[in-house]
Amino acid sequence: MSTVNVRVAAIEQVTPLVKHFTLVREDGQAFPPFSGGSHVVVAMDIGGRIHRNAYSLMGAPDDTQAYHISVRRQERSRGGSAYMHDNVAEGSVLQITMPVNLFQLIRMGRKHVLIAGGIGITPFMSQLHDLKRNGFEYELHYAFRSPEHGAFSAQLKSECGERAHFYIDSLGQQLDIPAVLSRQPLGTHVYVCGPAPMVNAVLEAARELGWPENHVHSEQFTAPPMGDAFKVQLAKSNMEVEVTADMTLLEALETAGVGPDSLCRGGACGRCELDVLELDGEIFHHDHYLSDAEKSSGKKILPCVSRARCTHMLLDI
Amino acid sequence: MERGYRIRSKPNYETLVWKEKASAHVVVAKGAGGMAVLQLFQQMHPVQPVTVFYVRGDSTDKDYSQTLTKLVGDELQVFDTQMEALYAFYRRLPDMKMGTRFYVSGTESFIWSLCKLAALFDIQESEIVKQLSNSLSRPVYCVHCKATTPNVTTNIVACSKCSRKLFVRDHFSRHLGAYMGLMIDAENPGEVPAIEEIYP
Repeated sequence: MSTVNVRVAAIEQVTPLVKHFTLVREDGQAFPPFSGGSHVVVAMDIGGRIHRNAYSLMGAPDDTQAYHISVRRQERSRGGSAYMHDNVAEGSVLQITMPVNLFQLIRMGRKHVLIAGGIGITPFMSQLHDLKRNGFEYELHYAFRSPEHGAFSAQLKSECGERAHFYIDSLGQQLDIPAVLSRQPLGTHVYVCGPAPMVNAVLEAARELGWPENHVHSEQFTAPPMGDAFKVQLAKSNMEVEVTADMTLLEALETAGVGPDSLCRGGACGRCELDVLELDGEIFHHDHYLSDAEKSSGKKILPCVSRARCTHMLLDI
Repeated sequence: MERGYRIRSKPNYETLVWKEKASAHVVVAKGAGGMAVLQLFQQMHPVQPVTVFYVRGDSTDKDYSQTLTKLVGDELQVFDTQMEALYAFYRRLPDMKMGTRFYVSGTESFIWSLCKLAALFDIQESEIVKQLSNSLSRPVYCVHCKATTPNVTTNIVACSKCSRKLFVRDHFSRHLGAYMGLMIDAENPGEVPAIEEIYP
């Protein structure tokens, strides 16, 4: 995968938990333009182990001088977000992948409804540029827990005017998802990014109201859950790899030098999918990609987020 | 045609059945397609709002408008021509909400005329429940002059616009809502095989 070294040109503390990083290329060249909703994967060398986290690009898609990402400090971080907050300073050098878009606007849509929860606002920051540049009809619904946690809310209020709606939990303001979805004209697409309960509530409300599935879009980068250590055997590489408790299967394979291709590293895109040839235990699927049937078959696994409890799992890699 | 060979672009049709998850229902039917609407209301009269657009059958087609009027009531609108019905349907689209489910029954020409209008509002044809009524007649797109000739029942047909003799193929375009028609005597002008009714 093509990567590029970037230098942190500026860091802004946006909320008590969110920092905004401005990245420029170390070689001084221009970045490629991207499409709204794209993300990059940032590689961090933490104590000799490479962590890779996906972050949405927030800036204007046609700004080729700098990329912008925002990182929320996760309470139960495996180290990635804490490292970005505590160890990365202005002038630090990081490695990022080129942008990939798994959350793009449907250009045929007649209206676009964006629903964000907390840090889930980030992919919409770049999508809003696309929406405005194309003159598309849209609404933004942004829920966050208290006034000081509303990252970029002042900027959004001034840029989007009455198309932006804010819901501040500590003030008792609730986003009524079924009410928002039930008043949308034909040809509307809804996009949701936020915590799992919010994403599930939007998917459920849309289904109940009779929205076609292809008008409902969500992005959720799952932080890979930790679990017990386990061992896997690799059929093609003819070796055994141990996955420690604080490491994902994908990271263990990469450390062993046999990592599969990967993109989002959050169980969304399916690029790292592996075939399971033999298994004497149980897979814990944490992705949003495999179908329920595929998950229960025990024949496939997304190593970026999923784990297993077993003494023997033979992977086709 | 070779046995076991299937043309994937050729649409399959189904039986109209109410979708359980819905905010509203819109049913559009023509002539003999009215039977599919009657069958829908045999299943139930849904709790959600329903609108039925029906084109009265003419002398060559069945007419269910009287029975439908009794059964459906105020939610039924009856039209004398396909053009009037499709125009009325199109005029209502801007007021309809997401979650509205669509059902159509009639000839293939009628079904796909409606799908093309719905597509203007980003409703994909795969989201419209379609039932073919009692005719296999086809809409045929002339690949030479780009006109579509409706309700073709024969293997070869004169294009309604350029009059070329078109061979009616099985290849179907969802985008155009029609089967492809190619000039059959392009290489040997005037050499046209026997014309037979094969899509009665």
